[in-house]
Amino acid sequence: MSDVIMLALVIGCFALAAAYASLCEHLLGPSAGKDASP
Amino acid sequence: MTVIGWLQIALFIAIVGGLTRPLGGYLARIYTGQRTPLQPLLAPVETALYRLAGIKPQTEQSWYGYTISFLVFHAAGIIALYGLLRLQSVLPLNPQAMTAVPPDLALNTAVSFVTNTSWQSYGGETTLSYLSQMAGITVQSFLSAASGMAVAIALIRGFARRRVATIGNFWVDLTRGTLYVLLPICVVAPLLLMANGVPQTLSATAEVTTLDGGLQVIARGPVATQEAIKLLSGDGGGFFNANSAHPFENPTPLTNLAELVLIFALGAALTNCFGRMIGSERQGWILLCVMAILFGLGVAGLYSAESAANPALAAMNADQTLGLQQPGGNMEGKEVRFGIAGSALFAEVSTASSDGAVNSMHDSFLPLSGGILLANMMVDEVIVGAPGSGLYGMLLFCIIAVFLAGLMIGRTPEYVGNKIAASEVKMTILALICIPAATLGLTAIASVVEPGLAGLGNAGPHGYSEILYAYTSAAATNGSAFAGLSSNSPFYNLTLALAMFVGRFVVIVPVLAVAGSLAAQPVVPYSAGTLPTDRALFVWFLLGVIIIVGGLTYLPALALGPIIEGLQMWSGTLY
Repeated sequence: MSDVIMLALVIGCFALAAAYASLCEHLLGPSAGKDASP
Repeated sequence: MTVIGWLQIALFIAIVGGLTRPLGGYLARIYTGQRTPLQPLLAPVETALYRLAGIKPQTEQSWYGYTISFLVFHAAGIIALYGLLRLQSVLPLNPQAMTAVPPDLALNTAVSFVTNTSWQSYGGETTLSYLSQMAGITVQSFLSAASGMAVAIALIRGFARRRVATIGNFWVDLTRGTLYVLLPICVVAPLLLMANGVPQTLSATAEVTTLDGGLQVIARGPVATQEAIKLLSGDGGGFFNANSAHPFENPTPLTNLAELVLIFALGAALTNCFGRMIGSERQGWILLCVMAILFGLGVAGLYSAESAANPALAAMNADQTLGLQQPGGNMEGKEVRFGIAGSALFAEVSTASSDGAVNSMHDSFLPLSGGILLANMMVDEVIVGAPGSGLYGMLLFCIIAVFLAGLMIGRTPEYVGNKIAASEVKMTILALICIPAATLGLTAIASVVEPGLAGLGNAGPHGYSEILYAYTSAAATNGSAFAGLSSNSPFYNLTLALAMFVGRFVVIVPVLAVAGSLAAQPVVPYSAGTLPTDRALFVWFLLGVIIIVGGLTYLPALALGPIIEGLQMWSGTLY
């Protein structure tokens, strides 16, 4: 049972990391190329 | 302090400096696909690996594809290592009949080595089978270093390329880094270690009768091969619990120097590789110069602090003067064969580099020395760092530096011909903010909950420093331990695993996003408004940014731990 929980934690964390990558891709899209200075 | 001590430090710096250019040139040739002397020998192996894995080496990936490959590879690595640790009792090469590693410890260890951290909540010689050490720990040391270098190379390509949608192929970078860089060095280095007394055997522990008739069990195993990649990879996880303080891991001052060079060699060389790949070696030297200044400040502070007398012992009239019979200063937790200079240098290199190997016990350093070790890790391991992570961490600070310079003069920030736009700044901030968030957040929780306090070996600010050190080390993927903290509990195993996960993956995703965003840009011509980043002025500007960002973020935490402990020690209060 503990093994299942641990493996679920690993898979869950990596799924979140993949979602985070998608979020970064989304963040990059509309603002890419915009001036960062005031 | 002694002249010999300073010469030892100077010799180390000279060797690393001398290796930087040739090794950097070699790395650049490897990652740009040029021929190298090892090509005839290793190219058939490389081609066979690609065929076996179904990889098309000519096909490049977008930053998103590169990132997903990176994540999938590491998820598989954690699951495989976890399985190996859980099943080691029924697998071969287990002469000491080690039992299965408990689930929470196995998860912590798997995450630790896959993320290039090597935090160890266990003693290697009493917990792991030889198969786990060789096929688990050692293999992940290779792969985590190769993947870290791959990320740095992808970011370099982002800076170097113009108007392209790809940043390389993760699988090719991983394979070439392992085959052409790590493996050749790790064939030669173990021979040097073995020649100086490091064991390499699959025999079980030796049992000897002591002079008074007692039985002593001497642990041994395939140490030399693991030792080489442990240092070269920036991993740092020792075969033995005592790590490089153990005479079988680091028997002589000569092996100590060799180990130090192995730790720093690739991280320093990658700065030169960066310079070559963007077409200006000078830019690489500027980064190395910043790293060298931070390193110099740290090692000078540590060596001078540890060489001074411990005021608590001085109050008891203990003789701590340097003489023929004793090295003087604070020798608690240090090996006599390395002395204060060899221990201070190793501690500085270890915490600056993200390696985390230790040849002395950091918990026994004086409080302000402990603060220096913490500060090294708190600047995101940019002082050379592990292979790859040091360089991409430093490049993130470069982006922040030119952004701040742009704010000052009201112009678009640029770095090595790339416009630093809002998107790159957002990604950089995401990458830089997650480590302090994980470190300070988890430290705060562990400082107040019962399972966190249960692991403490000391009270007061020293106990707090033990907790702060553990999470700083984990989130910075360093892996060195302050000792004193009993971290093999479900609470610490799981929360430290979380810190290591954040410190590796939550940082690398935006780093690769920055690479992809930069690669897609056109070149920005040098103009009168461009901040020159290849001059001494930028060295000081970048240094200021690193120190201020690190200082502002962590100063309150440092004040609560080593700083207040140091002040109280001077007034006679010990913890």
